[in-house]
Amino acid sequence: MNSPQDSIEKIYVEQKLAVESIRSFLNSKTSYDVLPVSYRLIVLDTALLVKKSLNVLLQNNIVSAPLWDSETSKFAGLLTSSDFINVIQYYFSNPDKFELVDKLQLNGLKDIERAIGVEPLDTASIHPSRPLFEACLKMMGSRTRRIPLIDQDEETHREIVVSVLTQYRILKFVALNCRETNFLKRPIGELNIISESNVKSCFMTTPVIDAIQLLSQNGIASIPIVDENGVLINVYEAVDVLGLIKGGIYNDLSLSVGEALMRRSDDFEGVYTCTKNDKLSTIMDNIRKARVHRFFVVDNDGRLVGVLSLDDILRYILVGEK
Amino acid sequence: MNNLTNNNNNSNINNSNEMLDDSSDQINDTLTQSFSQMNVDSPNELEPQLSRQHEQQINSYNNSSNSITQNNRSRSTLIFDDEEDEGPYYNENNGEDDVLSNTSSQFSEDSSISYSDEPTTPASQQQQQVQQQQVQQQQQQQQALLQQQAQQQQAQQTQKSSTNSTMVPVDIVWQQGGNKAYVTGSFTGWRKMIGLVPVPGKPGILHVKLQLPPGTHRFRFIVDNELRFSDFLPTATDQMGNFVNYLEVVAPTTTTPTTTTTSTNDQFVSNEGTTPATTEEATPENKKQKKTIPMSARSRIAMEIEQEPDDMGDGYTRYHDEALSKPDLEFTQDIPAVFTDPTVMEQYYLTLDQQQNNHQNMAWLTPPQLPPHLENVILNSYSNSQGENNENNSGALPIPNHVILNHLATSSIKHNTLCVASIVRYKQKYVTQILYAPLQ
Repeated sequence: MNSPQDSIEKIYVEQKLAVESIRSFLNSKTSYDVLPVSYRLIVLDTALLVKKSLNVLLQNNIVSAPLWDSETSKFAGLLTSSDFINVIQYYFSNPDKFELVDKLQLNGLKDIERAIGVEPLDTASIHPSRPLFEACLKMMGSRTRRIPLIDQDEETHREIVVSVLTQYRILKFVALNCRETNFLKRPIGELNIISESNVKSCFMTTPVIDAIQLLSQNGIASIPIVDENGVLINVYEAVDVLGLIKGGIYNDLSLSVGEALMRRSDDFEGVYTCTKNDKLSTIMDNIRKARVHRFFVVDNDGRLVGVLSLDDILRYILVGEK
Repeated sequence: MNNLTNNNNNSNINNSNEMLDDSSDQINDTLTQSFSQMNVDSPNELEPQLSRQHEQQINSYNNSSNSITQNNRSRSTLIFDDEEDEGPYYNENNGEDDVLSNTSSQFSEDSSISYSDEPTTPASQQQQQVQQQQVQQQQQQQQALLQQQAQQQQAQQTQKSSTNSTMVPVDIVWQQGGNKAYVTGSFTGWRKMIGLVPVPGKPGILHVKLQLPPGTHRFRFIVDNELRFSDFLPTATDQMGNFVNYLEVVAPTTTTPTTTTTSTNDQFVSNEGTTPATTEEATPENKKQKKTIPMSARSRIAMEIEQEPDDMGDGYTRYHDEALSKPDLEFTQDIPAVFTDPTVMEQYYLTLDQQQNNHQNMAWLTPPQLPPHLENVILNSYSNSQGENNENNSGALPIPNHVILNHLATSSIKHNTLCVASIVRYKQKYVTQILYAPLQ
């Protein structure tokens, strides 16, 4: 029992059982079960101007909101930071169209998508009474990293937006309420869940529009910023774009990434790093304590090695190793 | 209230003076009751509630003749009333309660939302409050009188049953094994643990019967030193993100004989289906009360007084307040013409104008006052707590009082954008939907 081989074996078995237990927990509860007894939901009318919707998001300290088409009385998708990235890219390549961008309504975002040739975002939704596990599966690999809960009104049979679940919310919920996360003691380097190849990065001096293009082309939510030695020094996130074009001003696209970061709000959570030897239990502990959306994996010298996104963690918990 | 014997030998004027003194106690008394009937889970109610009870206790000490009955009452409400909105894990949100309780004074803030269907002036509000207080005081005086006299016959009994009317017996059951189980929750401020006892004849099932004030209560179980939640009761996430059980205790309706337990029973049976253990049973005492008396304790006392002879001996007769006699009115199905016929309506308002010609011209043009419970907008407490910590990522709000459901709240229109909010039920939870839309 005391040999190192045995204890490694024990950790291995414990982790396997813990993951299975978390899965069955997610299967036993529905999305409805995990909603607070009373909560708020901010919905935007599709006739709202894009620049005003940006103010609403910033005012309410949120980064996404479901859209509502009041003409058809239907749920009309999610507004996320990637929509604003699309608008920025469109304006950057069509600087003469300021009038159009300034008067753009939320229902015009699809035209922008088409104009710059990006894939429309996934429009998956789920009924609140489906198991949480199913909702998580649908969220996995989703570019919006969230899933709206849609139900029908009993009398009018019209759609009602009940809430929106995010990957972070689910993982925080698991970290808070599943004691089994304490048994996830295998080093993450062993689990084959870190994205190591093809990790995009930029420098402080990179123009911010290039960083934004990288976000959009790769469908990622953040770009790590490194110095000339490859040491991680900061991150540019998709949500930072919201602060950049605050108030509908698109004049600052010539800034460098470093200058653009000066506009970041003071309550920025910071950059979270880990090493390959860290355990998933430690990672989950950090998710519980702070609003962290990815961990950058660094070596002993602080050089960037890879990224562990919430999607990677969720995928491991739901279906196992890659 | 033993001073009743004195009253009999005193004059009528003296009697009513005594009543005035007592009425202040009675106001406190009923206020406490109504506070505990309100939604105690919302932290906003914390301060007024506690301070009232404090006041009440002081009163009961000052007024030694009242101390026995008053103490009885305050104790029974105190046990479960020290509400604090605190998660099972975290004790760090001490400051948050302060922030929340201040919110009612911050309606004018930019981000706040208020119900606006009338131009409220502070002066008129005050005026109304004063009026309300006066009306309340009058009612309290009557009630004070009624109780004084009734207690001569049945002091102890009635005290007991009127206390029961604010608390609802709830059976909390743990049926997922374990040797030692405790329950802790918002009803004990998440501090005290209440032990569960085994149900005889049903191994593995433990339960405890609690007297809880109506409202939504959140709780968790501690089973063999582990924090657990029941799979057989409704679940939700609290503001800190902890997964908890919750249940809604419905106030006993005083008008129908089939009260409390059956209504909550239905609710949970339909919710749980196959779990008999979550149902609630009435205590024998309560059952008896329900069978015999389909009305509140106070109205029962009132009825009994009506039956007593007016002659109280020694040449004194019973004092009849005018308001006590029922006005000779009938209910009808017909809508009065004043609401249906425009010409009659016009005539009616013209008459109103003539009657109050000098001071309140066209007073009918101003919409009626907003009911005070609509002033407390739970969304306004959200924006305040948000700045303190970012824990609340699920948008959890305080639990709304039922009376504010399905009302439309709105903010002032800024930058041509209208923001409306409405609290609706979604199954057994409350969604506060906020819609931002442009003005066309």
